[in-house]
Amino acid sequence: MRLLLVEDELDIQRFLKTSLTEAGYQVETAPDGKTAERAAIDGQFDVLIVDLGLPDQDGISLILKLRQLGVRAPVLILSARRSVDDRVRGLEQGGDDYLTKPFALAELLARLRNLTKRNSSSGAEATRLRVLDLEMDLLRREATRSGQLLQLTPQEFVLLEYLCRNAGRVVTRSMILDQVWGMRIQPDTNVVDVHIYRLRGKVDGPGLQPMIRTLRGVGYVLKDR
Amino acid sequence: MFSKTAKPVMYSAAWRISLWATLAFACGTLLVFVFLHRFVADDIQRRSDAWLSGEVEVLGDVAERTPKDALYDRVVGEVAELAGKEVPNKLLSESSSNDSVFFLQTGSDGSRQLWVGAGDGEPALKAIQAVKIVSDHPTDLHVQGFGVPFRVASIRLDDGSHIYLGLSERDELRVLRSLRLRFFLLWLLIVLFGFSIVFYTTRRMLSHVRRIGEAASGIGHSDLTARVPMTQKHDEISDLALTLNHMLDRIESSMHQLHTITDSLAHDLRSPLTAIRGKLEMSLSTLMQVEQAEPIVSAIEELDRLTDFLNKSLDVAEAKADALRLSPVALDLDELLRIMIDLYEPSMSEKGLQISLQSGGPLTIEADAALIHRMIANLFDNELKHLPPACSVTIRLGIEEDSASLILDDDGPGFDSEMLLHLFERRVRGKDSNGHGLGLAFIDAVARAHGGTVAASNRESGGARITVALPIVSKRSS
Repeated sequence: MRLLLVEDELDIQRFLKTSLTEAGYQVETAPDGKTAERAAIDGQFDVLIVDLGLPDQDGISLILKLRQLGVRAPVLILSARRSVDDRVRGLEQGGDDYLTKPFALAELLARLRNLTKRNSSSGAEATRLRVLDLEMDLLRREATRSGQLLQLTPQEFVLLEYLCRNAGRVVTRSMILDQVWGMRIQPDTNVVDVHIYRLRGKVDGPGLQPMIRTLRGVGYVLKDR
Repeated sequence: MFSKTAKPVMYSAAWRISLWATLAFACGTLLVFVFLHRFVADDIQRRSDAWLSGEVEVLGDVAERTPKDALYDRVVGEVAELAGKEVPNKLLSESSSNDSVFFLQTGSDGSRQLWVGAGDGEPALKAIQAVKIVSDHPTDLHVQGFGVPFRVASIRLDDGSHIYLGLSERDELRVLRSLRLRFFLLWLLIVLFGFSIVFYTTRRMLSHVRRIGEAASGIGHSDLTARVPMTQKHDEISDLALTLNHMLDRIESSMHQLHTITDSLAHDLRSPLTAIRGKLEMSLSTLMQVEQAEPIVSAIEELDRLTDFLNKSLDVAEAKADALRLSPVALDLDELLRIMIDLYEPSMSEKGLQISLQSGGPLTIEADAALIHRMIANLFDNELKHLPPACSVTIRLGIEEDSASLILDDDGPGFDSEMLLHLFERRVRGKDSNGHGLGLAFIDAVARAHGGTVAASNRESGGARITVALPIVSKRSS
């Protein structure tokens, strides 16, 4: 998958390139708007990462210009600003996404995956999810582990569904808050941890292989191997 | 032209100004008319006095020269009657019977000798005897039976007898009355005219001022680009508009500066933070041993706390300057609180706390969703961090006037009475708090940015109460 990274801060550009390459993307970089414009028209990119604060122009203007030039690839906007601009909101409604700095790599990757998935529209949604011996029936709102029905609250079901959909990948606290509760907040307290802790008590019963792993400082992973 | 507001004209400043101006104008013109009247009255008086003095002298002359024979009465009477025909100010339509003039001659003993005029002259004689009439100096004389006084001139003859010539002031008074009537009508006309001119001009002037005021009050916190309307003319009003617009320019530019500073500060700090966090994460993923991960993990956590602190500091700083940028949307507080409680309930019950919501159903307000989310999360975090186990939190959501009211009650130890005064200031925190002391300042900042208020108090039954009021319709949306 080809990715164009438009970022002027070399430090950030370097570590992003490394991590994205590791994650399987073919990364090309551009330090400013002009270069990015040329690169985007020449190369067929599947997804773009654009920093809002570019040295020669506003990231938003660049995106709008690229759209006019026929570049259809979805864009993940990186913003170091505090308030989310109305224009960013507009782009978000148009299928693009934004992330404020600093961010967790896991979250960046998850948002990139979402963007490319949205773009390729992989047909009908599955009604059943299966990760190892954990099964979820999304229509009947039931989950079983090794054939044993799990007693989950509706909220816990949504949380587990989110983990299942991202099985094998790291999800951060802020991703969980955004996707499950629908808000971008950073609580001072461990509210998400307690939810995971409770869910783990139900999913990883006695005698079973623990599935929900905590990666401290990063987030959680639902093991799929 | 006339007010679009419901306020009656009587309460407008234009009305008051015109009233006072008209009053002053009316007094002034009245004074002028009084002087004019005085002058005219004096002049008429002087003229009739001159006539009286002249006539009485002529009559005296005639009376002296005419021999005192049988014809004396007739000759003098004839002359007196002739004189009565030349009365000044006399109206032509006056009836033939001449009662406006009388002629009286008295002997040296004061008895009546000759009388020409209406009636027998007895009342006039009595009146003359009652007052002392000086020769050559006409005097007012009230005669019984006549409504208006007479002006009487007298002359003393050599034989000791007196001649009196009386002229009724009736005609003189009539002239003055008609003059007064005309003056009054003219005065009324001038005053009304003056009032309407003053009212019209001040009204027009003040309507400009009102328009400027309306425009200025409409310039909200999120809309600093608007300007008050300018008038074409170059006068005080346009100066006022110009001054206001200059002031708005300065405010806008300092707001802009503040935003630039906070934005660039945020940007300058966030870029290195992003790089540091990224590198730490990368080294974490390549690590094999768990023991080595610990310092990196805690460094990442510290970084996240630092970021949160940075965000809140800048938000509080902007809100203190009334410069927090909002993008208001419709937000159901009832739904939001239920989701928040759902999120926080496990952590609370883990700590032995209970949380409950009393709400009257959906309550939609116009507010910035991200800021309100963070504000409520802050309120809940606050309770979670500071309440001892086995306490309960009750949240009540309701409408008070045109605000949504959110009341958080707990039955914990309450606030330090010393702290209560400075609760919403930056860097204030309890003795055993491990926060950075921005939580409540941030809550206050968000409420203020929405045109609402936050109040904290200790409940009488023990425990703390935080009351947040948020306007249902955002006052600050542009």
